Amino acid sequence: MPLVDIDLIIGGPQGGGIDSAAQIVIRAFSIAGYEAYGIREYYSNIKGRHSYFHVRVKDSPVRSLRYPVDLLVCLDYESPFVHMEDVSEKTKVLYDEDLVNTKIEQVLTMEPETKKHIIEKLRQSGFETTLAGAVNYMKKKGATPYPVSFRNLVVAALGPSKPPARYANTLGASLAMALMGLPSEFTSRGIESVFGKKKEVLEDNEKIVKSGYDFVRTHNSVNVNELPVRPAKEKYILTGNEAIGIGKVIGGLKLQTYYPITPAADESFFLEGHDYFEPVMGEDIDVENEVLKNMGVVVVQAEDEIAAIAMAISGAMTGTRTATGTSGPGFSLMAEALGYAGINEVPVVVTLYQRGGPSTGLPTRNSQADLMFAINAGHGEFPKIVYSSGDVPEAIDDAVRVFNYAEKFQVPVIHILDKNFANSFFLVDDLDYSKIKIERWKMGENSENFERFKLTEDGISPMGMFGKNIIWLTGDEHSELGHITEDPETRDAMMVKRMTKLETILKEIPEEEQVEFIGDKKADVTLLSWGSNKGVILSVFDKLRAEGVKANLVYVKLMNPFPAELVKRYLSTSKTIIDLENNYTGQLATLVRQNCLIEIDNFILKYNGRHTTDDEVYEGIKRILEKKENKVVMVRGA
Amino acid sequence: MSELNKKPEDFAIFSGIGCSAKTPHYINAPGMHTLHGRVIPFASGVKLANPNLTVIADGGDGDLLSIGAGHFVAAGRRNVDMTIIIHNNGVYGLTKGQASPTLPRGEKTKGLQRPNIFDSLNPVALALSVGYTFVARAFSFDVKNTKEIIMKAVKHRGTSVIDMLQPCPTYNDVNTKEWYEKRIYYLDKDPTWDPVVKVASSEESEKKYLQAIQKSLEWGDKIPLGVLYQNDLVPSFGDRISDHISNYFEVPPSESPIVNSEGDPIARMEKIFGDRLIRR
Repeated sequence: MPLVDIDLIIGGPQGGGIDSAAQIVIRAFSIAGYEAYGIREYYSNIKGRHSYFHVRVKDSPVRSLRYPVDLLVCLDYESPFVHMEDVSEKTKVLYDEDLVNTKIEQVLTMEPETKKHIIEKLRQSGFETTLAGAVNYMKKKGATPYPVSFRNLVVAALGPSKPPARYANTLGASLAMALMGLPSEFTSRGIESVFGKKKEVLEDNEKIVKSGYDFVRTHNSVNVNELPVRPAKEKYILTGNEAIGIGKVIGGLKLQTYYPITPAADESFFLEGHDYFEPVMGEDIDVENEVLKNMGVVVVQAEDEIAAIAMAISGAMTGTRTATGTSGPGFSLMAEALGYAGINEVPVVVTLYQRGGPSTGLPTRNSQADLMFAINAGHGEFPKIVYSSGDVPEAIDDAVRVFNYAEKFQVPVIHILDKNFANSFFLVDDLDYSKIKIERWKMGENSENFERFKLTEDGISPMGMFGKNIIWLTGDEHSELGHITEDPETRDAMMVKRMTKLETILKEIPEEEQVEFIGDKKADVTLLSWGSNKGVILSVFDKLRAEGVKANLVYVKLMNPFPAELVKRYLSTSKTIIDLENNYTGQLATLVRQNCLIEIDNFILKYNGRHTTDDEVYEGIKRILEKKENKVVMVRGA
Repeated sequence: MSELNKKPEDFAIFSGIGCSAKTPHYINAPGMHTLHGRVIPFASGVKLANPNLTVIADGGDGDLLSIGAGHFVAAGRRNVDMTIIIHNNGVYGLTKGQASPTLPRGEKTKGLQRPNIFDSLNPVALALSVGYTFVARAFSFDVKNTKEIIMKAVKHRGTSVIDMLQPCPTYNDVNTKEWYEKRIYYLDKDPTWDPVVKVASSEESEKKYLQAIQKSLEWGDKIPLGVLYQNDLVPSFGDRISDHISNYFEVPPSESPIVNSEGDPIARMEKIFGDRLIRR
């Protein structure tokens, strides 16, 4: 068992610095030599609604979260109510004692449905419907309350002129870290790492850190063990959105188009902030050439998603690595143009961040319900690649890979991701550039009658592009030259040419890039899954293995064309197969049934939009192995 | 093309869907026949990726002003250096002559069951109001003058739009060749007509804008043709990009290397994303 393995939640109002507080925690622990991982949960709202960060700190690599948490940090009056189920006898609950008399009715930011559920629970347990009642509810579950007057501490540290609310996040983070036993100098360095070296900010925060640590030292009602400092390596702190942006830039992205949408837009914002940089040109290139000293990435906010994909498609036909990023509603608008990219064999990348649907659905919450839609988007039949990533390190590599696939096979690629991935924080090392390969199309020899759509055995024609060749593209069926034709024989030949690419793709993409098979070769239980649940599943495997249960994971990355033979082979390694996804119908299981003729009988599903955690996956697997249920719906999360 | 001293490869000709959309297939230059209503973003994408190309976008009045109206408006705000030609005939020819956004209310063309009950929009006034920096009108049967107007539009640095009056001989039996020939006149026949803005954001520029708006309202017995408004002083979208990415024109996205001489990516984490590194 790891010596240090702490889950904490920091909750507060949207716009109240929750992100900064979580960043302070992750960065401080990283500087002290620990691993950390976190996810942000928030409402579709600018300011005021409850948001929270769930973070886990460990002395070994971490990429999943657990309930109940070890520490609940309540920076507002809503947190104690909405997180009162997230605690147990191991939990310390830090809250603002000045707010204890708050009645739940006074919590204006809370949704009426949530209020109703909490009031019912408090009444059933015989507690008042006040913040004090919520604290007592948690106390009954064994948690240890840790009341603090935020106002008094800020005033004592900075005097009465500074608004206490502004310092709630740094104070909350300081108290949390003092309670976790992290030496205060790391907290100070974490704060500096987040806010920079502005003198006044640093001085104020230094006083806040001191007052937080002093408070914990003098109010030792809870047990605090000072954590040892570990040898540390400099790491990058990256969200999923950022990992995709980084992978794209390293892979050669030169034009990104987008229309603002949650949770995809963060990637394009990030790119806009990193769109002009100094390249590493190698030995032979004239370093004195001023013009090559910097390289740009053009990021364009289009008027809608239709324009975004249209620009990306035509941009790609100039030989530019081009991508667009979106989420469900925007992707729905892109469907027609995807078919255009399909019939014109355009190497364009669409990064699809799934969120709760249908329609506007749960715009800021997680989902994996767009898999079937991504595969089938666009009318008619045409080859496309749908490729999935689930965590930050693999996503950086995959963002390069999908460009390679798009150009090599000359097809549109949908890189399918989810909100949990997008809004999770990972600590990662610098890349091993020797492992990053960039592969492009085969170019054709330029000639007067250049056949952009030349019929070939493998379906792939020599690439032609605007500015270099005289080519024609059309959404109509076309000849090898690219001119409209309705000739039946040409139609047949073109259909065969395009659809043959699906076989070529399966043949040429290495197996390990299609499906990852992780765990015991022969197992008691096989998990079938994709996307951001990978980390949780592997974390649970550690626990199962400790109990003597052998387990493996069939982690599918290439969703279309579907690697049926490979999946069949891997699924034959155990008797019990469980499909685990964040949707209602088990879409990956449907794909397996459709392509492999294997019926999946067991499901662990979640569609409430909140992140999947170790405890619920563990319980689900246990219930299925004990034959209590064959379908478990996970419901955790505030 | 030859008069512009350019090779076919220097061009990219775009079209939407409809009768005008066949245009690229008739020209010996790279062409892209795109989707209904989407010709503007497709054309913009190529220009953004390779600003050295000369881009012309052909669309119908239904294509550009109905299904693609949002893009038509957005294009005015961007001022990407390209030319948009509205092949304006008042009807949807390929689907048997339904009313387009430029057919006046009360008109009954051949394909309509009853007179049109939609009001028409004014493409020239719309273009002016959303920021197009070159707005002209031409008549397709007058090949010589139309060519001159297209040349001027292509040479303009920014988005130029031409309202091309182009009768549909099959479905529009109201606005016919003869109907137009009786009404059209060229603005530049009047030696005092000057549509070109000389001083940015000035009294003079406002005057030029208002005179163009006023001319745009002239429709009936007399229909003005030629350049109605031209403002070369507004930076093109490429210029705006190059304010930030200063070598945008010298090393545009399409020409920008992505691997170095060793075959490794030229973009590196520490050089670009160092702000995400937790320094100690």
